[in-house]
Amino acid sequence: MSETYSSKPTEMKRSSWGSEAEERKSVVTPHNSVSVRGISYAVRQRVGPWWDIPTYHKKCTRQILNDVSFHIESGQIMAILGNSGSGKTTLLDAISGRLRYKGNFFGDVYVNGHELKKEQFQDCFSYVLQNDTLLGYLTIQESLTYTALLALQKHSSDFIRKKVDAVMAELSLSHIATNVIGNHVFMGISGGERRRVSIAAQLLQDPKVMLLDEPTTGLDCMTANQIVLLLSELARKDRIVIITIHQPRSELFRLFDKIAIMSFGELIFCGNPSEMISFFSDCNYDCPEQSNPFDFFVDLTSVDTRNKERELETYRRVHVIASAYKNSEIFCKTLEAIERTKCMKDQPAIPFKSKDSPSAVSKLWILLRRITRNFFRDKIGIIMRLSQNLLFGLFVAFFLLRLKNDLLQGAVQDRVGLIYQCISASPYTGMLNAVALFPPLRAVSDHESKDGLYQKWQMLLAYILHFLPFSIISSAIFSSFIYWTVGMNPDVSRFGCFFAVVLVPHIIGELLTLVLLGLVQNPNVINSGVMLLNVAGVLVGSGLVRSTEDMPTPFKFLSYLTFQKYSSEVLIVNEFYGLNFTCGGSNVSTVVDASCVFPQGIQFIEVTFPGATSRFTTDFLILYAFLPALVILAIVSFKIRDILIVRQ
Amino acid sequence: MAIQRESSTSKMKEMTENIPPECAIGSQVTDQDLSTKRRVRDSIFCSEEDNSLYFTYSGKPNVLELRELNYQVNVASQIPWYENLAELKMPWTWNKGPDSHVSAIQNLNFKVHSGQMLAIIGSSACGKPSLLDVITCRDHGGKVTSGQILINGKPTTHQLVKKCIAHVRQDDRLLPNLTVKETLLFVAKLRLPKTFSDSQREKRVEDVIAELRLRQCANTRVGNQYIRGVSGGERRRVSIGVQLLWNPGILIFDEPTSGLDSFTAHNLVITLSRLARGNRLVLLSVHQPRSDIFQLFDLVLLMTSGTTIYSGIARDMVQYFTEMGYPCPKYSNPADFYVDLTSIDRRNKEKELESEKRARSLATLFWEKVKDFDDFLWKSNAEDCVMSVCSEQSSLLTSEEVINMHSYSTDQLPGGLKQFTLLLRRQVSNDFRDLSMLLIHGSEALLMSLLIGFLYYGHEKSKLSIQDTIALLFMIDALIPFTVLLDVIAKCHSERAMLYHDLEDGMYSVSSYFFAKILGELPEHCAFVIIYGIPIYWLANLNPEPEHFLLNFLAVWLVVFCARAMALWMATLLPTLQLSAFFANVLYTVFFLSGGFMISLENLWTVPFWISKVSFVRWSFEGLMQIQFTDLTYQMTLGNITLQIPGKLVTQAMNLDSYPLYAIYLILIGIGIGFMLLYYLSLRFIKQKSNQDW
Repeated sequence: MSETYSSKPTEMKRSSWGSEAEERKSVVTPHNSVSVRGISYAVRQRVGPWWDIPTYHKKCTRQILNDVSFHIESGQIMAILGNSGSGKTTLLDAISGRLRYKGNFFGDVYVNGHELKKEQFQDCFSYVLQNDTLLGYLTIQESLTYTALLALQKHSSDFIRKKVDAVMAELSLSHIATNVIGNHVFMGISGGERRRVSIAAQLLQDPKVMLLDEPTTGLDCMTANQIVLLLSELARKDRIVIITIHQPRSELFRLFDKIAIMSFGELIFCGNPSEMISFFSDCNYDCPEQSNPFDFFVDLTSVDTRNKERELETYRRVHVIASAYKNSEIFCKTLEAIERTKCMKDQPAIPFKSKDSPSAVSKLWILLRRITRNFFRDKIGIIMRLSQNLLFGLFVAFFLLRLKNDLLQGAVQDRVGLIYQCISASPYTGMLNAVALFPPLRAVSDHESKDGLYQKWQMLLAYILHFLPFSIISSAIFSSFIYWTVGMNPDVSRFGCFFAVVLVPHIIGELLTLVLLGLVQNPNVINSGVMLLNVAGVLVGSGLVRSTEDMPTPFKFLSYLTFQKYSSEVLIVNEFYGLNFTCGGSNVSTVVDASCVFPQGIQFIEVTFPGATSRFTTDFLILYAFLPALVILAIVSFKIRDILIVRQ
Repeated sequence: MAIQRESSTSKMKEMTENIPPECAIGSQVTDQDLSTKRRVRDSIFCSEEDNSLYFTYSGKPNVLELRELNYQVNVASQIPWYENLAELKMPWTWNKGPDSHVSAIQNLNFKVHSGQMLAIIGSSACGKPSLLDVITCRDHGGKVTSGQILINGKPTTHQLVKKCIAHVRQDDRLLPNLTVKETLLFVAKLRLPKTFSDSQREKRVEDVIAELRLRQCANTRVGNQYIRGVSGGERRRVSIGVQLLWNPGILIFDEPTSGLDSFTAHNLVITLSRLARGNRLVLLSVHQPRSDIFQLFDLVLLMTSGTTIYSGIARDMVQYFTEMGYPCPKYSNPADFYVDLTSIDRRNKEKELESEKRARSLATLFWEKVKDFDDFLWKSNAEDCVMSVCSEQSSLLTSEEVINMHSYSTDQLPGGLKQFTLLLRRQVSNDFRDLSMLLIHGSEALLMSLLIGFLYYGHEKSKLSIQDTIALLFMIDALIPFTVLLDVIAKCHSERAMLYHDLEDGMYSVSSYFFAKILGELPEHCAFVIIYGIPIYWLANLNPEPEHFLLNFLAVWLVVFCARAMALWMATLLPTLQLSAFFANVLYTVFFLSGGFMISLENLWTVPFWISKVSFVRWSFEGLMQIQFTDLTYQMTLGNITLQIPGKLVTQAMNLDSYPLYAIYLILIGIGIGFMLLYYLSLRFIKQKSNQDW
């Protein structure tokens, strides 16, 4: 049966390829290899959902990987097959050192016979994830150039340009280099092209070992074939390529140097295609002529869970095949190869990715440029950022029209209401911006920080720097509109002060949201959380609804922690200081009326915020001190995120 | 069952006999070898119970016919209005883009009968989605320029489609906190006719679970991107199960095998072909059929950029193309090979032109061949093939009549009241299980309550002054809606996709959903108000008479309810979560400002004054003020004079005594009902297409 499969021409081509590659290798580079010996991995999980208490308290251990061993050398491409839940992706994670809980992990991974240290994994393997996380508004060339800058900035810009061009040519992306990548809102390049951009981003660092998780999923058949062909070509250029794959087509069968089949965490078989056919033939399972050998063998080794009998029957079959493999010559050879590389006299060094990453500051600068360029093409985002504050302002102005000086017509009340709105609405718009715009960047940083390109907090800091100008412009538009329309204290320096104060809550709103976005995944939860914090802050801190003097003592202390306290004090002083009111047109002193207790602004300040005038500068400084404090808090929260999300 | 088995093997035999010589040359194996191999295959895929028909369709046989169909898609009109606005395009330029009308289907003809399974294959952008859209009457901005679609000789309409076509879509739209079994059981209760007993319904659910191999996760919750649940493949199978349960005469599957592993995909297509054998008409679009799946198809329609390259018996396809001069190479999947052959290669200009030319010539050749046939399907030797298909069918029919006893009719679906109770049950159990959301909402209410309560702590010596009491009352009813608004809107948007498809399918009526939604929210709403309202009242030491407390509680209950109804309305009115959240907040701020506290009512100019008439914040504030102040006398010290101020004077000074208390409650109820009415109208007339931004 196996003879009928081997089509001569490809075999010839392959062998000539092989010898060529070997020649080159013997001259230039030593032979690289990855060997995996006896990997096992288990997780403990709860049996039932939380409302079903008896089963919820039970925990069971699920074996995800069970004694997996294989050996692969450079120039080879290996495909890991298996149904969903068979542990393919976990195997890749285990090889690349990205498992979530190391506690239940046993076995060894050797690269050229060396055991890797924890921090070496990242620099040795390049890992292409299943979902492409790319910034949607950059072109392919820009996207790759920024990645190259982040990874190899020490080289000259000329070198980087050449490198990017070379990689784009290798992945045949050159003809669409200036196309915008696109996201869910607008169409950009196709799915296959996106996938190739993701692979290209990894290739920039010249990795010797590439791992790809389901590179063909979600692509149509022609594109999927092209991707796998491309990967095999990459492997021929002296790399090790390991992919997990779902439904490969029969044409690809001969393309792989090694095919591994997984089922329920066990490696059922691992060997080259002709070994595979003869092995299964020996087990009395011949692959029929007209069907795809991949599909046939995967089906053969999967467990049917539709009912108990079928489950037992198929499970037994899988077990028989697995033990047959463990006793086969192929498996013995694999073990020998592993031992040989381990005991080799002069072990070649670990092949690290080329990495000359720049200093933290220049990384930040590159990230900032990248985010800014990406954002400048996002029209919706820009409009949203600039107009939201103004929209709120329009509504407030609509209600107030013009501030009056007559106490009976609500001169004090209107001004307090206006200041209340300015303080409570602008954090809200800041929050909306962050929740809408940051999560895609967060996904990119989660991904790229795993590749070791930069730290998550560096992306965060770049994001903060890039939105500052927008916040300033947006607040400037808002404050100049509201200030002059409703007729607040007509003094240019006071207007400047008003603007400077209103800007801060807007930025704080966004920073506070970023702090939470580091810890919580779901943006809806963050929405509610920030809203609550904002309302609580206004209540406790501002002193506009309840004067601080009358509050219970704990709240008095709490109020010192809220930015609303300082901003409202400054705004009140800024507006009321030196203002004189009338009372129904008549002399104030003769009319005894509850509303006419404050004929002068200064009196109002002294009653509601005693001593605020003297604290003006201090308040201002403390208010601005909130900004760096929150930035630090956000960085801390993204440091915690590093620990929280080892693997998503 | 025996007949079943025999027919399937005879079919298999036919298939192998029809393998064209070009494809079979490599195999130097005898028939005997083949049969042993088939036994191996059978033992892998088929177990005995696999071939039993659990439920069959027994209405009149259906015929779906497409005659000279030409279909145009207006690409520009598919872009939603808010995206157009964001791109700064003005409304009058939206539909005027150049080449906005793209011809998606050209001159398509076929006729399919019950008992047949037609697979539409082709590379991406070949017109598959448009075809399914046009058949199910869901043409979004498209236009049938000529030709007809007939079901049993009648042109398709929305009602007809709803009655006999089930459409299984690619995206999964399920409630995350129900288990797989509960999800299916819910649909079984809604979509199976009244004549079914409860045990029959449960049996049906069990059958579908077994069929789709969901047994091991039947009691796991479905989950979504934030909530851990079943795997992606399993979730897809659940959404297929949702439609299988309903057991309609014509089934349309949009890429049913995508996202499933090969073994499951094969089993699924076996299931589909079995469904077809159960006298149903099955239509499916497949991206990349594996060879073993391709062998299961009866009929195949191969399309590329809207033109028909081949339509006819699947196993004759290779023969047809061989006659055309494109033999299928050895060891390759004919489906893959011919899809690649005919797809347009867009990698560069020359290749594109070349492949377009090839596709066009193949399409005209095919049309020449079949234009004289009645059903426009190509057959190798016209007569006997039709005969064999027919005889196979009739033999199947007789064997199935024994198994099948249910008569199915859409008229007997559960009534509105039943739909309502089922929806209510589903919603309540889904909400109750969302532990994290419950905790978040609960702590929100408690935190706000404690915060305001301690801020205005009113026991012992620190009795609240008039000013403070007024501020407190306003805070009580004006702050909490801000948080409620966001919560409700976020939840509504997460359920939007499911609601859209359920309503399109006619699973339940808008009114039942509306009432179930309103009532289903009530338990959470009441718990929320209790957690929020009681601690505040006690901490602030407001008027301790029970009736005052109850009236106060009722006012708070009503204001939160109005906020909820308004949030529901905004969530259905505006297409994205961002827009809904922002404009709901703006609208609420308007009500907030006109509430009579921030700016006194008499100082409002005309327009805001009228707005204050519909501001529920103002009315509830007025209510709370009257409850607190009417009967009390306050002491106020000005210098060394102590004044006795009757509470009435305070409400008078603030213009808050214009209406009696009962009228205020009625107005509040009226506003709530008004928002609910708006919500109902938006549900009814605005398509709830989902657009989750994150």
